[in-house]
Amino acid sequence: MSYTAEAFQNEYLALGAAEVNAIVTVTSSGSEGGRRTSGATEIIIVDASGSMQAEGRINAARQAAKAAVACIDDGVHFAIIAGVGTAQQLFPAPGQLAVASPQTRSEASWSIDRLQASGGTAMGAWLLLAAQLLAQRPGDISHAILLTDGDNGERQGYLESVLDSIAGRFTVDSRGVGTNWKVSELRKIADAMLGTVDIVAQPADLTASFEQMMTNAMGKTSADVQLKIWTPVNSSVRFVKQVEPQVADLTGKRVPDGPRAARYPLGAWGKESRDYHICVDVAPGSAGDEMLAARVSVVEGDTVHAQSLVRAVWTDDTALSTRINRQVAHYTGQAELADAIQAGIEARKSGDDRTATLKFGRAAQLAHASGNTATEELLATVVEIEDAATGTVRLRRKVAAADEMALDTRSTKTVRVGRGQ
Amino acid sequence: MTECASCADERAAGAAFCESCGRSLAAGPACPHCGAAGAVGEDGYCEQCGMLAVRPRDHLEVDGGEVAAAATDRGQRHHRNEDAMWLAVRGGDVDVVVCDGVSSSFDPDVASATAAGAAGEMLASTGDVGEAILTAKQAVAELATDGDPRRAVSNPACTIVAAVVRGPEVTYGWIGDSRAYWIPGEGPAEQLTEDDSWATHVIALGVDPEVAMRDPKAHAITGWLGADAGSVQPRAASFTVTEPGHLVLCSDGLWNYLTDPAAFAAAVRTGLHEHGTLINAARYLTDYANNAGGADNITVALIPVQPSAAEE
Repeated sequence: MSYTAEAFQNEYLALGAAEVNAIVTVTSSGSEGGRRTSGATEIIIVDASGSMQAEGRINAARQAAKAAVACIDDGVHFAIIAGVGTAQQLFPAPGQLAVASPQTRSEASWSIDRLQASGGTAMGAWLLLAAQLLAQRPGDISHAILLTDGDNGERQGYLESVLDSIAGRFTVDSRGVGTNWKVSELRKIADAMLGTVDIVAQPADLTASFEQMMTNAMGKTSADVQLKIWTPVNSSVRFVKQVEPQVADLTGKRVPDGPRAARYPLGAWGKESRDYHICVDVAPGSAGDEMLAARVSVVEGDTVHAQSLVRAVWTDDTALSTRINRQVAHYTGQAELADAIQAGIEARKSGDDRTATLKFGRAAQLAHASGNTATEELLATVVEIEDAATGTVRLRRKVAAADEMALDTRSTKTVRVGRGQ
Repeated sequence: MTECASCADERAAGAAFCESCGRSLAAGPACPHCGAAGAVGEDGYCEQCGMLAVRPRDHLEVDGGEVAAAATDRGQRHHRNEDAMWLAVRGGDVDVVVCDGVSSSFDPDVASATAAGAAGEMLASTGDVGEAILTAKQAVAELATDGDPRRAVSNPACTIVAAVVRGPEVTYGWIGDSRAYWIPGEGPAEQLTEDDSWATHVIALGVDPEVAMRDPKAHAITGWLGADAGSVQPRAASFTVTEPGHLVLCSDGLWNYLTDPAAFAAAVRTGLHEHGTLINAARYLTDYANNAGGADNITVALIPVQPSAAEE
């Protein structure tokens, strides 16, 4: 794998300034010939609770699971879990992993056709079983797909405790079908397991969604890539956020590595590019001082793939220190956009229309100004945008649940800014 | 085990200092900012406090003994030295170039280093000052198209003043506001170059010099090396020395603090008389500017020139 890491920042700080911001773009060209540098294991978790009988969901879920199985490359280990009040392994035999081949894929399809919907929803138990199965293949690129249509039925706090115990061991992409599931629950899983969350409002769209997730997973060629950040004494990392393709706060995933460095997990990587916003608090220097505020490395185990320097240069030349870096400004706006949408939805739910209008207005303004048309269109399903430039919006009286959930789940999707300064 | 090379007293690995003689046991240099021993990493930053410890261009000197000397210094306010110099001594022959990067351009430090190097090499092979400056102009212009988009947007740019001394013959040329002076044995300094600057331009048009120099635009230069320099041509002249004196080339980091020709000459003579060697005199002049505030990068070159024996 060949990686590059490039920092975009205005390194010039006014005298007394102590906050250093940079956007670091990490790009991987993928491994040679797209071959994995390690093995891979896939777990498909399908909600088989009683509610899945509605709207032909269980049938759509069967088709989708079969389509996902068809996308698994030969040689990749896999298993299918039927999600009910407990976790039951649907394929292969309990405690086993199958090795993908034309024969095992068709056996899996046969099993999937026998999946019946009856029982409860226990996401913590489902994920725990997935973790146990994946533990048989340490070092693999480990990934799970989780499909649900309802609220988690486990006791309060159980899912969180499971996530705490398995976080970072594998990636989970979650999909909610219909509108009776909670965005906050699946987002919790996505945040802890470095995955994505999205709504599939129509059961008929499940197959396309599963195919896309599995194809994406098959494109990953490295298992466990990390960002290692070194900072000098008397300084600290205020936050590390993935800001593209979607916002994900990595600050809390810090694992210390030596006296002045820490690692942040980035999950599995293929041929792709992601942007990270790094903010470091430093002790201010005097005019002319140049400090290395952070040394940012892309690492896999002890191998350093790429490195980029985040610098701070103090100057009394305001023409330099007041320059605004386009990357930093853009992604600061994108993160605020996601926050504004989530706050707006929260306020609307609690009946605080005034705050909701304010937050959605700000969101419309940010989405418009940054050219994030996908988010602007989603916003327009929840509010009437009268003037995006000034952020003037009116709440819609009637909002389809699916539209609001789509806005919520996709609020963290960002767009890239044109490069060059 | 780590062994102190100086007193051969063995100490446990990891100790920062030799307990016998107190010398640092660490391989690398100590950080000039926080004092941590051997903490300066390969990329020049201190592994402890993060400060940039190694900046080779912060202060550079070329000591040509009794023939010539030059020094360049970052000054007090700028974060890097965007001045560059070239000084070559072959017997009694001297080639000298001083360049000052234009701060508002991208990578001005690269521009000045490129120009000084290109001009210096041309002087070494042909001794032609005008040709050397045009070669430097071409080299700096090419920096804008080397693939870095930021250089294309704000192309690297710098000034240049160059001179060759061959016996009593002095030839000099320039573009921008870096200067050449002749310091005779007595009396005020003679400014050989005429700045390509807004102030010089309007003074030539009749504006009162004091008023012109107080204008914020006074130091805006009207000629430079760079992709956007247009058709600017170097101005050049030569003269034959008839009495002993010193040729001085410098950037505005020095002459800004010595705008009066008499004061300039006095400062140079103080350096020469009180500090003995040429290099000490050059150092005295960079210190002079630093003590006065060091608002800009400072570069100065000193070349004593004697009249030919026949004229003495």
